[in-house]
Amino acid sequence: MKTILAVLALSLPAAAAVDVIKVGVVEGLSGPPAITDFGESYLQGLKYAVKQYEEGGGKPKIQLVVYDDEANPQRAVSLVQRLIQSDNVPVVVGTVSSGNVMAFAPVLQRAEVPLIAGPSIATNITTDFIKQKPSYIFRCSMVEKFQIDAILEWGVKNFKKIGLIHSTTGYGNFAAKSIEEGLKQRSASLAANEAAAPGVNDLTPQMLKMRDAGVDLVLNFHESFELVFRPMAALNYHPTIAGNWGLSSLKVEQVVGAKSLEGTVMGQALDQSTPEAKKFDAGMKKEYGKEYRWPVVAALGYDAGQILTAVIAKAQSADPKVLRDAIENVDGVKAITATPSHPFSPTDHECIKANGVFLGVWKNGQVVRLEPKR
Amino acid sequence: MSWANFLQLTVSGLAMGAIYTLTAKGLFIAHLATNRLNFAQGDFLMIAALLTLALRGLGIPVPVVIVAVVLILGFAGWGLERIFIRPLDRLGFRGGGEYSWILTTAGAGLVIQNVAELVWGKSAQYSPPLFSGRNEPVRFLGAGVYPEQLAVIAVSVLVVAAFYWFLFRTRWGKSIYAVAFNPDAAVLLGIDVRRMVVLVFALASMLAGISGVLAGPIVSVFPQMGLVFTVKGLAVAAVGGFNNPAAILFGGVLFGLAESFSNYLNSEFGDLLPLLFVLALLIVRPTGIAGGRKAAAR
Repeated sequence: MKTILAVLALSLPAAAAVDVIKVGVVEGLSGPPAITDFGESYLQGLKYAVKQYEEGGGKPKIQLVVYDDEANPQRAVSLVQRLIQSDNVPVVVGTVSSGNVMAFAPVLQRAEVPLIAGPSIATNITTDFIKQKPSYIFRCSMVEKFQIDAILEWGVKNFKKIGLIHSTTGYGNFAAKSIEEGLKQRSASLAANEAAAPGVNDLTPQMLKMRDAGVDLVLNFHESFELVFRPMAALNYHPTIAGNWGLSSLKVEQVVGAKSLEGTVMGQALDQSTPEAKKFDAGMKKEYGKEYRWPVVAALGYDAGQILTAVIAKAQSADPKVLRDAIENVDGVKAITATPSHPFSPTDHECIKANGVFLGVWKNGQVVRLEPKR
Repeated sequence: MSWANFLQLTVSGLAMGAIYTLTAKGLFIAHLATNRLNFAQGDFLMIAALLTLALRGLGIPVPVVIVAVVLILGFAGWGLERIFIRPLDRLGFRGGGEYSWILTTAGAGLVIQNVAELVWGKSAQYSPPLFSGRNEPVRFLGAGVYPEQLAVIAVSVLVVAAFYWFLFRTRWGKSIYAVAFNPDAAVLLGIDVRRMVVLVFALASMLAGISGVLAGPIVSVFPQMGLVFTVKGLAVAAVGGFNNPAAILFGGVLFGLAESFSNYLNSEFGDLLPLLFVLALLIVRPTGIAGGRKAAAR
């Protein structure tokens, strides 16, 4: 009897406080430039949050186990399996490609290990699981539907003809479908709808079509954000460009140039004029220098990190189920982005809400809030 | 379609076609003399574009940069032959057999990509125009053209002319053809085959250098950009038939124009149509436009 008890005691998770908690991270850290910019920026924010937590003497310590999924779904799934089975992490963060998240989210749900998805943006990532009680899938990122709704709402009011250039990837086609549906609901339609393969180098033909159709607002949902701008001077055609939150990257500004980018509009979830955002911005610049290039994505990574650190500090446990409940109930988050202080509930696993998404515009080399026209 | 649109599409198609031609030309010359290809040709183009950026960033004048980059790439071509191809020949079957150069050159490409990522980061870079201010096209007949587009078209035509002269009018060119025809016979005729092989790889890489310098400002520069150019360069070389410099120019122009016009007509499949067209052509004429009934002379 004694031995049985001893064995039982050994096999039970130690109730005493744990020293180190591993957090699994899968991000797209190599591959197409747009993917890496997303992945690295999100990871920068996450690491910054963990660093602050440790500097503040946070216990237990947090160890990030970071893997690169190379924007490849199969690889993402096997990395997540490795995180669960051999690294034994109780919580996972990631990744850039929505397709990859959709591929590994079911694995985590089944294994009952919580996921904070980001910076992937496909609308259905959390909603697909929310009916499963409990759902282990959370997200701190932009939500595609929210940003498209915001852009279309503004677009149909302010422009006569709207055109769309999207990539032929899963992401681009998905965005195109939601845009067409969104316009239909607003009894409008696209004046021109053009696609482009992910590896193209020249969008002159597509932009000619836009010009000929008299489009004055071009929606840019191609992963190579800079391509749309390149032929504009040659074609002497300067429509307003609006699109994916990717357009807020400082990298896009470097490639396109502040002058060409002026007036470009995108979905946003970070107001860079608030004191908290400015402080974060200065801190990140100090921490990462030139490598820091994408405030909104880094800020969402940072907020995901803040939620994680708060949860781990409170739960003092490496039990995935305990952590899941703690994430759902987390309160008092001082987010940099539009994430509320009590972000989640059993029916909502998104950091960013529809009313937290607004439109940003490039103005004098900075992304600021787009003021509605009088 | 209006004339202005036609002209616009023609110029942007020709410019891209010219870059493909230069890439294909590099593949062609190496293949001619050695029956091998450099699968890292596109990555050589990428490194040339990034080197151009870096050197210009140091404030070095453009003409010096161009000469320097082309020379550096020439050396890189020599290194490629020396490190990734020649040892295989020496090893013979222990080196993995006849086609192991495919893996080693493609591997060289991956190495270059990763080095570029380490040095310049993974993001896309802005490459300023060589000859003009930012976004300052030249206008004629309702179309806007960037000077770099004209330059790359002009250079590719010049390079083809130079190749013609070099291959068919100089002793070195004749030596290359002799090596291509039969290396053993070439040795008996007193031709230094090794030297010829190094020469063609250096030449091929210099071509990648030229196209990298010129292409940088008209495309997006990033470490992974090379593969597309390798693939399309291969397609163009296959259309041209791998044995005639002028036919490759024709193939490149055709491919570039096909790409630009097919994207205009149907952007959903715009990138696919030119490749389908190449497939169809190769089914009808497996040796390319200028290829004879039989494949190579060998």
